[in-house]
Amino acid sequence: MRAGARVVLYFIWLALIVGIGFGVARHLEITSDLRDFVPPGRTADQKLLLDEIGNGPGSRLLLLAVSGAPAARLAELSRGLEQALARDPRFQRVANGSADLAAAASDLLPYRYLLSPTLDSHRLDAAYLHQQLQQRVEDLSSPAASMLEPWLRRDPTLETLKLAQGWAPARQPKRVDGVWFSDRGEALLVTETKAAGFDPGAQAAAIASLQGHFAALPGAADAKLTISGPGWFGVQASRHTRAEADLFGVITTLGFVIMLLLAYRSAVPLLVTALPLLSGAVVGFALLALIFGHAHGITVAFGFTLLGVAQEYPLRVFSHRRIGVSTLACVRELWPLLATAIVSVAIAYLAFFASGVAGLQQLAVFTIGGLVTAGACTRWLLPRIVPPARRDMAATPGLARAWQFLAHLPRPRWLPWLVAAAGIAVIAWAPGRFWQNDLSALTPVPRAELQRDARLRAALGAPDVRYLLVLRAPSAEGVLALSERVAPALDGLVGQHALEGFELPSRYLPSIATQRARQAKLPDRSKLEAALQQAMQGLPFRAGVFAPFVNEVETARGLPPLTPARFERSPLGARLEAMLVQQGEGWVGLGTLTGVADPAAFSALAGETHGQAHLLDLKAATESLIVAYRHRILVALGIAAVLLCAAVTLALRSPRRALHVLGPMTLATLLVLAVLRAAGIPLSLFHLVSLTLAAGLGLHYALFFERRTDDAHEDLRTLHATLVCVASALLVFGVLALSSVPVLRAIGLTVALGVAFHFMLSVLMAPAGHLRRGERGSE
Amino acid sequence: MRGFRDALPLAACLALIAGAVSAKAPGLAESLLAGIAKTPPVSTPFVQVSYRGVLDRPLVVSGTLRWLGGDRLVREITKPFRETARIGGGELSVQRGGGEVHRMPLARAPQTGAMLAGFRALLGGDVSALGNDFTLAAEGGKAHWVVKLTPRTAPLDRQLDSIVIDGRGNEPRCLTVTDDNGDISITLVGRMAQQGLRSPAPLESALAARCRNER
Repeated sequence: MRAGARVVLYFIWLALIVGIGFGVARHLEITSDLRDFVPPGRTADQKLLLDEIGNGPGSRLLLLAVSGAPAARLAELSRGLEQALARDPRFQRVANGSADLAAAASDLLPYRYLLSPTLDSHRLDAAYLHQQLQQRVEDLSSPAASMLEPWLRRDPTLETLKLAQGWAPARQPKRVDGVWFSDRGEALLVTETKAAGFDPGAQAAAIASLQGHFAALPGAADAKLTISGPGWFGVQASRHTRAEADLFGVITTLGFVIMLLLAYRSAVPLLVTALPLLSGAVVGFALLALIFGHAHGITVAFGFTLLGVAQEYPLRVFSHRRIGVSTLACVRELWPLLATAIVSVAIAYLAFFASGVAGLQQLAVFTIGGLVTAGACTRWLLPRIVPPARRDMAATPGLARAWQFLAHLPRPRWLPWLVAAAGIAVIAWAPGRFWQNDLSALTPVPRAELQRDARLRAALGAPDVRYLLVLRAPSAEGVLALSERVAPALDGLVGQHALEGFELPSRYLPSIATQRARQAKLPDRSKLEAALQQAMQGLPFRAGVFAPFVNEVETARGLPPLTPARFERSPLGARLEAMLVQQGEGWVGLGTLTGVADPAAFSALAGETHGQAHLLDLKAATESLIVAYRHRILVALGIAAVLLCAAVTLALRSPRRALHVLGPMTLATLLVLAVLRAAGIPLSLFHLVSLTLAAGLGLHYALFFERRTDDAHEDLRTLHATLVCVASALLVFGVLALSSVPVLRAIGLTVALGVAFHFMLSVLMAPAGHLRRGERGSE
Repeated sequence: MRGFRDALPLAACLALIAGAVSAKAPGLAESLLAGIAKTPPVSTPFVQVSYRGVLDRPLVVSGTLRWLGGDRLVREITKPFRETARIGGGELSVQRGGGEVHRMPLARAPQTGAMLAGFRALLGGDVSALGNDFTLAAEGGKAHWVVKLTPRTAPLDRQLDSIVIDGRGNEPRCLTVTDDNGDISITLVGRMAQQGLRSPAPLESALAARCRNER
């Protein structure tokens, strides 16, 4: 093919990648919905967790502290920020202590006697009314008299105020200038995002918007805004991880470029080596978009990691090119082995497709599609765009000596058995946990931030993120009734210091039964008028001044009880909405808890209610999901391993040859596990995926070392290719192993170790005859 | 200045936006109030008589008023019941008898903030809190003078009609707060309070005349 045509084809290829990539980017939705990624929940709590994780009332809270200026200025900033956030559609609610709950209560004014607990212990009789009116007389001499006076005629028992007090947080920070302040003199606010707590994209947008509002406030430049909460941690972690990954990406790209130039002494590999991998990635994404329409962020991350195997295909081609032989002919010779590797791995990943978990199916589609595409591009496109070889890699200085060195390494027959036995012993007996179930350990929050979060949470009385009280009933009304029933038990737990505070749905909306009971206690007009007249004796109130009160009580007697739907339209409706959710056939109430000190103390409550009300430990529930998920992955990986063995054996048409390929792979994987165990590193999902990638790379090393050629130069080219592949993998993943982010370190360390072990064992366990024959040929 | 602004942020902002800043030259009102200027803490007995639309006779309470300086004021009722109200730090707290303390941000009670400003002027001659939110008018001479504060910012002007301080020489006598709905409370301070009321339920006109030094 002429040079001009090659260049044209190169650019067409590039344009296709960019075009498909652009189209896919517009259509493929990357989600962070965990339901996509983990197996369908089996227990009701797991289902609830999947529905509510990140959506729960606690995890959407952001705690804010404004500091670094005089108190008066901080209070102004707090008010400014509160107003801005109240208008911002990204935020559900915001509180800084200035809210007037009486205003919210006045929205539900006609229902006040049904909502307030007053009638549970009192009746609107002459004695109670007299005592109340006596207090009102005294109120009228207090400095707040002008505030109370407008309410007096219609609400002489100040029911609206009692409701507002009941709805106010049980423990509030002290107020300075009408807004909350911490003991350290920071103005405190709490806000609830609309977005789920673990939706990093939406949280990042909300936080950026929040910071923008703050920066736009007059005088904000001198003050400091501190943010805390699950959403903030998530955004920080992904920002930190991305920053570090980007930095390492730049370092390894530079290293990779230098290595390619040194290895091939030509710029051509540099220009085209990434194309098959990129093609595989865009086709993988396109398949996801076509089949699923969306993909989970973790699928994409895992998929990209596994697709890293494809980086080897073009490198193998460049190492095996010969002077005077067309690249196409060289690729044709390599193709059986490459195809064996690709097809075996693709068959193995079919196990993931059968797993029944959407996230793993997406992973299988992405990886199989990507690998096949990258292989096909390497086979049919790449040779048509590269100029003919001008150098034979077999002639690389030092390569022959390296071959001799490797060929003469001692290969004791007992070595594999010893390695296997030692590996199994270490894996079985090393102390420490085998699995890491705590995903947050992979993206840890700095200790100082955690301490600050605990401090702000305590100061604001914000709910615990880890624990929820779950109330289950067949109907919303049942949940509210249950909520009323357990409230005294929770008060008891507060008394025992097992808990600092709680908030139940019935705090906002009593059950219909309770409302009806209160309604039944409301006196009729004549009785109330008589009681009132008696109550007013000796008090200075003007006759007839409470006529509006009498009218409203009469109205309240005939009101239909307040329903959740009606309450949710009121200013406080969002709070009830977050606490009362429908799940499948039934309803669930989510009570928030503050300062849970003794989770075990809740077991009595669960026993009394036959489990209808119980403590949900979100951390434990998440971990149980991860265990279930890992179980699926392990089963899938096990089936994949069996499929791989079968595919390799079939392709090589010899169990003995297959053993030479699969033996080193298995042993090397065992060794990596042993090293990780010996170092006391508990294994996470990321380790498993990294082990799989390393095994895919190891398959290549073993396949190519096992290859029979009668040409010494071809053996040297194989060694060259393998060395370049090993060096590039070690470079990329070795650097990643130095990361301060545990998740990057896990991937880097596992793959780097794996590549080293796979290479060494492939060499040491290759049929000795092959290597020695190559040596004889070159002499 | 700051204390009052904090109590009335909205009012203050609106005043600033309107650019309506009263004449800075010391007028009669300022010089009259300057005459009674004292350094805090200042303490005086008081008798408050409230005339309210919901009541058919006036309410009378008495006790001690203390201005501790700045925006801090303590109003202690000793008769006919005990109640301590503290204003300061943008907050009003009220404790009746030995009961629980009720707290409320001043931002939600603009009239209480206005009353605080009035008492600061009354007890310490401190007019610094008044400038932006009230129009000051004064009349009279040594034997009897009147300083009238009229709110000119929302939402205060919808709730409060006026605050009037009556005095004689360097001595304040009464503070009369008239709400927008016509409710009136008259607080006697200093010697007037010590003299007490001449009737258990004085007519408003009679009490006003006493404040004006007519009887």
